[in-house]
Amino acid sequence: MYDADVIVIGSGGGGAVAAKELGEAGLKVLVLEAGPFYGNKKWENPNSERGGEWSSSYDDLDVGIYKKIYTRYENNMNDVVSGTFRFGPADRRRTPWHRVMRQKGDIWQLAGVGGTTQHYWSQSPRAFPSAVDGVWPISYEELVPYYEKAEATLPVQFSPTAPKEELFYFAVQKAGWQKNPTLNVTKPGYRPNPNAILPPNPHLMDPKYPIDQLWNMDGCTMQGHCVNGCTAGSRVDTIAKRGTLVSYVPLALKTGNVAIRPNSFTIRILTEHDPKEGLRAAGVRFRDTWTGEIGELTAKAVVVAAGCIETPRLWFNSDLPFNSWVGRGLTNHCFDWVGGVFDEKDLMGIMGLPAVYPYMGHTSGARVDIPGIGIFQVSCLSPGLMAFLTYGFSEAGFDALKPPEPGAPWNIHGRVVGPALKELMMNYNRTMTYLLLTDDETLYRNRVEVDPILKDENGPIPVVHYVPSKKTLQRRDQLVKYSCESLKAAGAKAIIRSDTPFAFMLHLESTMRMGYVVDTNCEAYQVKRLFLADNSVHFNGIGGPNPTLTTQALATRTSEKLAQKYFA
Amino acid sequence: MMQTPELYASRADPHTVATFRALVDAIVPYTPELAAYGAEQPIGAVQQHVHEYMIWSLDHTLTLVLDYYPEIVPLAAPTAGLLNAGAAQLVASGQAKYAAQGAIAGSPVPFAALSPADRIRTMAILEKLQIDLGLLPPPYRDDGGLVKFIIDYLNRGTMFGNYSEWPGYGTTRLNTPTRRRLEFFPIGWRQTGYPGVSKGYRAVRGILMTIVREGGKSTIV
Ligand SMILES: Cc1cc2nc3c(=O)[nH]c(=O)nc-3n(C[C@H](O)[C@H](O)[C@H](O)COP(=O)(O)OP(=O)(O)OC[C@H]3O[C@@H](n4cnc5c(N)ncnc54)[C@H](O)[C@@H]3O)c2cc1C
Repeated sequence: MYDADVIVIGSGGGGAVAAKELGEAGLKVLVLEAGPFYGNKKWENPNSERGGEWSSSYDDLDVGIYKKIYTRYENNMNDVVSGTFRFGPADRRRTPWHRVMRQKGDIWQLAGVGGTTQHYWSQSPRAFPSAVDGVWPISYEELVPYYEKAEATLPVQFSPTAPKEELFYFAVQKAGWQKNPTLNVTKPGYRPNPNAILPPNPHLMDPKYPIDQLWNMDGCTMQGHCVNGCTAGSRVDTIAKRGTLVSYVPLALKTGNVAIRPNSFTIRILTEHDPKEGLRAAGVRFRDTWTGEIGELTAKAVVVAAGCIETPRLWFNSDLPFNSWVGRGLTNHCFDWVGGVFDEKDLMGIMGLPAVYPYMGHTSGARVDIPGIGIFQVSCLSPGLMAFLTYGFSEAGFDALKPPEPGAPWNIHGRVVGPALKELMMNYNRTMTYLLLTDDETLYRNRVEVDPILKDENGPIPVVHYVPSKKTLQRRDQLVKYSCESLKAAGAKAIIRSDTPFAFMLHLESTMRMGYVVDTNCEAYQVKRLFLADNSVHFNGIGGPNPTLTTQALATRTSEKLAQKYFA
Repeated sequence: MMQTPELYASRADPHTVATFRALVDAIVPYTPELAAYGAEQPIGAVQQHVHEYMIWSLDHTLTLVLDYYPEIVPLAAPTAGLLNAGAAQLVASGQAKYAAQGAIAGSPVPFAALSPADRIRTMAILEKLQIDLGLLPPPYRDDGGLVKFIIDYLNRGTMFGNYSEWPGYGTTRLNTPTRRRLEFFPIGWRQTGYPGVSKGYRAVRGILMTIVREGGKSTIV
């Protein structure tokens, strides 16, 4: 009768978790993913040839193919227009899929098995309890067992200290922050990041083991640039950075109950009227991104995990019932980015090293958490990405064209161009940069909708609109102040505040909020058997912590509830 | 679908090329005075062909269904038009600091005729929307949000192109991405002291704390 028990749409941060959990519960699961499947024998040249249709076997995974594609080169991997990582079709001759955004910023999401976790930095903190208790329709306590399960599965471990983390700890201790050894953050303090990265290979510091050999063994090699794709490991499922392509997806395939079809863009959720249940999900319609052919599949339940933009788009384009909160309440942690340039002799004094080595270790390995305000975390990138984030991307315009800001805790505010940029970039190796994550107020006006006119081959395209509240901006300024203080305390000679565009979209959350669009099981109020399992179900921005672990905990819980309700 | 740089460049219109050269030159200039820090330091974005990166990117970024089927919408030429319209307005309003009004009035690429500082000023008035939006070319005409987005993109895009490995793709730089090959170590990486991609570093300086899992519960040691 049905093609599957459950169809999962999207295989990123949340969808891959749902697939694995449902497969382990014994349900037959089909996963439709819009982008390519990297590291799989069915697709040897996934960016230039159509390859196979489905993969349903763990034995399809191939680390050789994976490592050939994941070149680690920042432009090849991370160019939003043409990169291996982009939100677009597998065929890299084609353009990305467009979203309309009429403000400064950029949307950084990826299509492909593993979704945006292919280049995420894998920081996996829990929500701040104070952002959940008495705020969400479920309690923090309710989430804890699912956090534990996701943390053990990924697995999550505290980051080791690389030179930049050593400098960061020095800086934040000088600025007066206390160490906070916990996973449940209820007071301010610093700690290493709980990251979904395997611990360093135990032989890493032993010169008898050549780096080439360590790279083909299991364990983190501190190769740096997690953001450009991790390549340390002996098999696909033991790659050090635990994006879902290498963690939950292999586990899903191992159940024998899950089949994944990449290159398949879902364009409509199919529904039917049941005399008892009312309107309910019954299947999907999808478009093959290589051939343009349209297919349909049916199932007893549908899980949508297409991300915070495509999930509401799919709702709109499927003509599902009106709900004034669909696409509404978008939060994004309203980032900022602050850097400090150090002198060699100061670095020698602090660490006995002449540089920050921004390219070694986890992209981000340590943080200061401040419940009620947000987080600042050391985060260092390869030079192309670093240049644009630090000097090329700003809400504040050009630094040189602005009047001086007496008393400001930074020396540079906004974009730097011309000879001054080149001089600053000569100091790349002695520059430590921070990413700031703000406790972002949830507002109805911040939204994803679909354009009334513009369409691509998958239907009306999304429009994204995000303007933070005054309170959010005050908290962000506070984080900037704390960041600058710590850089100054450590002796930074120049401090740069980029004033990142508000709509730099990496941590999109809460566009299909629990309590408004979905119930506490993450089932849509208005469409039975339709469950959501991505960042969109968050009630808010969880206080500032990086969102994915919370999505993974919820997807674990949602799968359990779905199986209990419809398949017990 | 094989594309060579020569082929692609021969299709780009010369005014667009001149405008993007002027753009990337203002952002990452040639700086002979930095030679004291190393022979590679003077090299700027024009020498690295970053204007071609920007033109290629803008011409390969947007597909829409306009009539019956999806079509690529090239954005490089209209974006050059935007910069030139901005430059003309900067000069007309008397805000250009170094330009001789006459030389620019007749130029088909007024943006390129401006000094680097005035090119930056042009971008500043555009992004602050201190211009007559009705005089801009489509799709920017009367669409201030899109103008803000693209001006910001022009800056960060140039920096990403210049300081990433893209220039190192040499003669293959404008091929379709899967056919680009690194031909030399990227100059931007040399300028910054980045050693290139790595399989690993012996860089563990310590472990501050560890999560221990037992019986479904975590403790920190
Ligand atoms: C540079 C960067 C660094 C980050 N670092 C961190 C971090 O350290 N920690 C953290 O917690 N978060 C981080 N994030 C955010 C993290 O990536 C997201 O929170 C997470 O990926 C969200 O999971 P998701 O399932 O909601 O969406 P995604 O992971 O984006 O997955 C959605 C999937 O659905 C697919 N899809 C979309 N539409 C359709 C359709 N119609 N049909 C079929 N498939 C579809 C997409 O192709 C994609 O694969 C980072 C993000 C970026 C960009």
